[in-house]
Amino acid sequence: MSAAADGEAALAERLRQRVASQFGRSLHIRTLDTGSCAVCEQEIRLLSAPHYDLHRLGFFLTPAPRHADLLMVTGPMIRAFDVAARKTYEAMPGPKLVVATGACALGGVYPADAFVHGTVGEILPVDVWIPGCPPSPLALLQGLLVAVDRLAEKVSGLSFTADGADS
Amino acid sequence: MPLWFARGLRRGIVTTHYPARPDPSAACLPTPPAFRTGMIDRQLAGELVAAGPSQALHRDGDVLVFDVSRCTACGRCQEVAPLAVTPSGEFELAGTSQAAFVKKIGLVLEAGQ
Repeated sequence: MSAAADGEAALAERLRQRVASQFGRSLHIRTLDTGSCAVCEQEIRLLSAPHYDLHRLGFFLTPAPRHADLLMVTGPMIRAFDVAARKTYEAMPGPKLVVATGACALGGVYPADAFVHGTVGEILPVDVWIPGCPPSPLALLQGLLVAVDRLAEKVSGLSFTADGADS
Repeated sequence: MPLWFARGLRRGIVTTHYPARPDPSAACLPTPPAFRTGMIDRQLAGELVAAGPSQALHRDGDVLVFDVSRCTACGRCQEVAPLAVTPSGEFELAGTSQAAFVKKIGLVLEAGQ
């Protein structure tokens, strides 16, 4: 069991290094709207404005899934979109990353029912989760840099208690 | 060869780091709440859970479970208890697993429990 776990950890480390070396300075992003209210899209659109200047960090938006390294998914993943989401993901060349963007995509707004899956993780293998309703362009940039391993994620170290105690 | 091109080749820098300096607009962003653990009992926890429109908060026994990934930073729990719940100021919240977003906040127990 431990040998298998070690092999898995080594594989994860190799994949991490490959993602960092291949995508660290050039990453092409395709956005996928699975029923969002379009405010996440507005924030994503602001990324390429001069204030945030996505391109200085080596990120580029592309309209074609076949040119994309990273799929940025917004919305609660409506069931009517299953086939299109899978086709988009399969059309991307590997290695590929999926980033779930916004509270809808993370399961905070719509519970699973007959119309929505409620979370993107039900359909696609998500690598990075970016919370926020909507996530600000700064939060999106941090999420993208976490995805290509240029920044460490910090949410697991936060307690969200005002006095610093956990209990 | 233009000078700037030669300079770029020499330095080999194609992209920049993030952020170059703290962004002043970040202070204005709505952020998920931070809870003052000494002030929240079971009753207040129930009110906080009822106030939230998203599925970010729920109570599990003597623990208030806060799923940051599901929080929409609407501020309604801060309206219910402005002293016990304050904005955390954290907005760079991207994580690589959903388990990392779940925070457990211990509740104050009444005497005799």
